[in-house]
Amino acid sequence: MVTVTIDGHEVQVAEGTNIVEAAGKAGIEVPTYCYHPGLSVVGQCRICFVEIEGQPRLVTACSTPVADGMSVLTGSERVKEARAAVMEFLLENHPLDCPVCDQAGECYLQDYSFEHGLDTTHMVDERRTFPGFERRLIGPHVVQNQNRCIQCTRCVRFTQEISETSDLTMKARGNHSYIDTFNSEPYDNPWSACAADVCPVGALTVKEFRFRARVWHLEETPSICPGCSIGCNISLGNLKGIVHRFVPRHNPEINGWWMCDYGRFLAEGLNDRDIEQPSRADAQSEERAEMSWAEAIDEVARLIATGSDVQAVVSANLPNEALLLAKKVLADHLGARVLTPINDGEKHKIKNAQRQWIGSVDSHANSTGARLIGLPTGDQDALVKFLESSNGPLIVLDNRAHPWLATDAAAAALKGRPLIVLARTHTPLSRHAAVVLPLASWAETEGTYTSSTGRVQLAQRAFFPKAGAKPAAEALLLLGARLEAGTDPNLTPRAMFEELAAEVPAFAGMTYRRLAGEPGVPALGFEEVAHVG
Amino acid sequence: MEPILLRARGETNSRSISTYLRLGGYGALKKAFIMDPAAIREEVKNSGLRGRGGAGFPAGVKWGFVPQDSPKPKYLICNADESEPGTFKDREIIHVDPHMLIEGIIIASYAISANTAYIYIRGEFVEEARILEQAIAEAYKKKYLGKNILTTGYDLDLYVHRGAGAYICGEETALIESIEGKRGLPRLKPPFPAVVGVFGCPTVVNNVETLACVPHIIERGAAWFASIGRPRNTGPKLFCVSGHVNRPGVYELPLGVTFREIIEEHCGGMRDGKALKAFIPGGSSAPVLPADKVDTAADFDAVAEAGSMLGSGGLIVMDETVDMVWALENLLTFYAHESCGQCTPCREGSDWALDVVRRIRRGHGRPEDIETLQRIARYASQGMTICPLGDAFCGPITSFLNHFGHEFEAYIEAATPAPRKKLPILPVRSGRGTFGL
Repeated sequence: MVTVTIDGHEVQVAEGTNIVEAAGKAGIEVPTYCYHPGLSVVGQCRICFVEIEGQPRLVTACSTPVADGMSVLTGSERVKEARAAVMEFLLENHPLDCPVCDQAGECYLQDYSFEHGLDTTHMVDERRTFPGFERRLIGPHVVQNQNRCIQCTRCVRFTQEISETSDLTMKARGNHSYIDTFNSEPYDNPWSACAADVCPVGALTVKEFRFRARVWHLEETPSICPGCSIGCNISLGNLKGIVHRFVPRHNPEINGWWMCDYGRFLAEGLNDRDIEQPSRADAQSEERAEMSWAEAIDEVARLIATGSDVQAVVSANLPNEALLLAKKVLADHLGARVLTPINDGEKHKIKNAQRQWIGSVDSHANSTGARLIGLPTGDQDALVKFLESSNGPLIVLDNRAHPWLATDAAAAALKGRPLIVLARTHTPLSRHAAVVLPLASWAETEGTYTSSTGRVQLAQRAFFPKAGAKPAAEALLLLGARLEAGTDPNLTPRAMFEELAAEVPAFAGMTYRRLAGEPGVPALGFEEVAHVG
Repeated sequence: MEPILLRARGETNSRSISTYLRLGGYGALKKAFIMDPAAIREEVKNSGLRGRGGAGFPAGVKWGFVPQDSPKPKYLICNADESEPGTFKDREIIHVDPHMLIEGIIIASYAISANTAYIYIRGEFVEEARILEQAIAEAYKKKYLGKNILTTGYDLDLYVHRGAGAYICGEETALIESIEGKRGLPRLKPPFPAVVGVFGCPTVVNNVETLACVPHIIERGAAWFASIGRPRNTGPKLFCVSGHVNRPGVYELPLGVTFREIIEEHCGGMRDGKALKAFIPGGSSAPVLPADKVDTAADFDAVAEAGSMLGSGGLIVMDETVDMVWALENLLTFYAHESCGQCTPCREGSDWALDVVRRIRRGHGRPEDIETLQRIARYASQGMTICPLGDAFCGPITSFLNHFGHEFEAYIEAATPAPRKKLPILPVRSGRGTFGL
């Protein structure tokens, strides 16, 4: 550890830390464009100039490691002048089309121009432009506007160092150099949209999010990606109850600064909903009859009572709290046989902050949590066999717990059984179910999830459930109260998590406060199988 | 002064190894091999030989920076990427006496314990690369290169690496990147190439002329070399004179000779008897000096004192007919084209400055433009950029404005406002027909 003074504040940092990070520790922001903590240092944008007392020349904060006793000035007159000059150089050829630029609001050129720039320019000549490169789809997800580019090469370094695909490159020389795809192939890799994330300006933007919303209108909620078992941390952006995007949220242990395109573009799917109220099948007509939750829970209780061998399928996408309730209410109290189906699905991988690959083990966000809580798991064959073994009432939480459940074959196999289905969108199974309960979407659910590396993480609720939807845990609480399982129907997610921490040894000692402050709390007794490739 | 580096000029077949051997070539190599590498480094340090590539850094000191206890292989690179406008001395050495360069490379490699050396030559030097390839083949044949050189047990392989013609690849770290097969972009320093150079190993990069001096220092001693020129500025120097003189060309003269002597005695005076207006003493990136500085001694320290730099020794002479605004535009065109585009001030500043100067020359200057140019020159130089290319185009801007600002002002006074570009008026189609707005 070395001690350095930044603008009069003393901080202790590890040896080899650069001035940007050290200043960050002292609470001082040094502006940066080309510097990104997850990428190599090139020191070429020159905005991060700082003054080291006793040195005649300004140094770039990103490429200068701190030394013991160093005294750094980040706001001296010389530094201010240099930054203003660099801002002017950067804006000299920039189109300044902020009103029609989708980056506006999260653009570092805007922020630093406001903070460090001049309020005018000396430039009167014609701006450099790149005809044909203004609105160019360079890959399936990324749109390029080269006129706005400040040649910081963050995107190039991302494809070289993180995705290891090297598809982007700098072409030509000097003021006319531009970003292009290598060999003019489409820019297509499993993490391609991250290049738009690292772009500090509006040169690369995500096709799917462009012009959907102004970012300052978006409400950002810390959440977890629902795509697979890795559990990448995301920020979920919604505007008036409509989910518009996922962007990666920094977690050094899991996803670093990145996320894959598959997970990112699940965001739009969260807005789908065609089940708004509880309903039951009508014997006389094709139409389903809507009813209230109280009536629905009564109906569920009546259906459960009609058979002796009750079964339940519990999704591994549900949060830990719902899984614990399913175990307590359905398995322990009701005596139902429970199975959590596991679908291996497409494999995904992501790099953490130490640049190690973490691979997915299955396609569920909380399969590890289900195992830790003690729910029996099984693959598709086990699921089919499990469902064939009984003719009694079946509770399905939820109808997309396994892709097979969403098929016509599943609906045909389960026809005639008293079916209770929790669902957000219809599948063949839910259309014929005796009772369908509306399920809240991922964005409408608060809960904790356990990643495949054994880290317990909190996903907050972005907005309240729409129409009559309820999260699975709430539905189970109501059912538990009706079945006199001893559950309190007004339990909050936080209280449920406290219960979980008290009852399940793997979660012992965890609190919401710890989950919020740490990069995921490792589950106890869980062998760290990081699946680092 | 007797010719040293260009002693073979005028000899028939001067490039062949037989001519070189007849003139006593490869004698220094035999002497070097009975010396300790440390003693060679010391000898070169004592000779006061300063780098001839432009910066004038003492060569022996540079060799001393190589960590001799490092387990990594060491490399020597000969920088033959001579792309500075007004400089053509390395080309002359390669044309006249390639074996002198090769002998210098072998001695220098031996002095820093390198077993691989490269000659990085600019792409446009097609003929010169061929000459070097041929000379290297001859040297291999005579066992001056390859395994177990002259049965001393010392191995050295020498390769010619042709660049693709970028000016920036003359900067030593960009040159190293280029040899590694990457885009020629200068690296951040530190670490310096002597510690982390080509392929991450300790590397020394020396100019052609610097290395060509080495055999002479070994053969005739540091004291002899130090006796040429002036204190701290020792040895012979090749001056490449271009521009409005009667006999432009490469002249070998001791350091410290005055520019007046170079122009009047060696180059036969100004062309057509015109008066000298200005001269650029060290290749196009050196600040321009007005005619009254012509009595400055041509050595590193004296030229620096006069406000410019000796650089590579490329003396560009301009007579009274030269339009200085046009001259600056000409220089800036080169730098705007050759800026690598890596760091902001140089990438944006070089093009911007060119735009401004070109507009002034075309008669659309504004009084504020002088300040704009000074601002660019101030913030794109002196440590604001990664490599010295920023200084290379800012030096001319500042010096042209300092010494010949009145010419720029005259242009601006006579200027007319730039014609406003009118947006085309497009016809609007309505149901009734076409009408103009």
